[in-house]
Amino acid sequence: MDFPTEVIGEKGYIRITSDLDTEVAGEALRAAFNQVYDRGTRTIVLDLSGAQIINSYGIGKVLMCYKRLKAENGVLMVKPLNGFVKETFELLMLDKLLPEDRER
Amino acid sequence: MSVASTPPSILLADGDPDSREMFGTFFRRRGWQFDVVDAPSKLSSALEQGPYDIVIADVALPGADSLSLIRDILEKRPSQAVIAVSKELSYDQALKFFRSGATDLLNRPVDFMWLERVVQQIVCSRRNDERERLSYQFVTSERTEMVFSCSDIIELDTVPLPIVGRLEAIGALDHAQALKVRLAVQEAVLNALEHGNLGLESSWKEELHPDGADRFSATRRDRLRDPEFCGRRIFVTVSFDGTALEVVIRDQGNGFLNFPQGGAPERFSEVSCSGRGLALMYSAVDEVRFDHNGSEVTLRKATKPAGRH
Repeated sequence: MDFPTEVIGEKGYIRITSDLDTEVAGEALRAAFNQVYDRGTRTIVLDLSGAQIINSYGIGKVLMCYKRLKAENGVLMVKPLNGFVKETFELLMLDKLLPEDRER
Repeated sequence: MSVASTPPSILLADGDPDSREMFGTFFRRRGWQFDVVDAPSKLSSALEQGPYDIVIADVALPGADSLSLIRDILEKRPSQAVIAVSKELSYDQALKFFRSGATDLLNRPVDFMWLERVVQQIVCSRRNDERERLSYQFVTSERTEMVFSCSDIIELDTVPLPIVGRLEAIGALDHAQALKVRLAVQEAVLNALEHGNLGLESSWKEELHPDGADRFSATRRDRLRDPEFCGRRIFVTVSFDGTALEVVIRDQGNGFLNFPQGGAPERFSEVSCSGRGLALMYSAVDEVRFDHNGSEVTLRKATKPAGRH
């Protein structure tokens, strides 16, 4: 499983194309993140519109991305969320942590 | 009229008057019930009048993007059977239709014998589902016991919960509740695997290596190959008593001290790599109870009255 990535200007984008609730999906996120991070991008946007479900495993991987960026004064952002994923982010207060990217 | 003897009901969306006439004649001869629309804009409101067993849609309908037409139908009615009718489709085009959710494709000129066979297959399957759904309303209790190895859980990512689908089908759980129950069970099973059977410490998630990997994941991989850990089992009991669904998950680990009891943990105020699974479990079901030093967790979710319950 691979999640498509793209770097436009200062921002890197990762499009999550499956539910984020398995080890395979979590590893795909880590690989995609490394791909963008290794290009020097320190503002990375996750587009989670392709995920219907996210569990603690997926959230853990998202937080690891957040911590790696924060350690270098970077920012992890998310595209506007919907449905269950939005509910989960709100429950775990991740909506306060990860700003929304409303560009594009 | 019994479920089995109900004739097929069809919504035909076709822009060609001659074609509509031909389909109509065929449906009438077979005694099938049908409604017809001649424009995609009318399909949406016609679907509201349903339900229909099958939508037969001419994918060359004027003014409609054929693939999004099918997606729109399935968005409104996720289990709707849709047969797309087209003059000629290449392999790639056909694949696109199947990927957008079409149940079957029919080429023009229409082979009505083939159509009859496809319609009967779809209707037979739907009637069986409906019969099972109706029958399940009479079930007053159910209990299933399952045993999994660690590698089973890794392969499945969770445990099968067909009862949740059945409770959703009879309206005892709505879709969001069913989704949350599945998620809570998945979290509990992962806890049983990782913290129970594999004995992994949450704090290891914070110990990051330069490549972004962490001690927790690395130890997890090692212990899944170690017979001392991976030979342990996870026991799952799922029961329904007519008023609530209860799932009990027990592992063969040593349990843990200070396991949470009596209520949901505080809301998160800092970035922590642990404890989220518990928060998700507490938010998804009505009751979370730990026993046997934390090596057994019981999740309970009240169900709504449905059918004769």
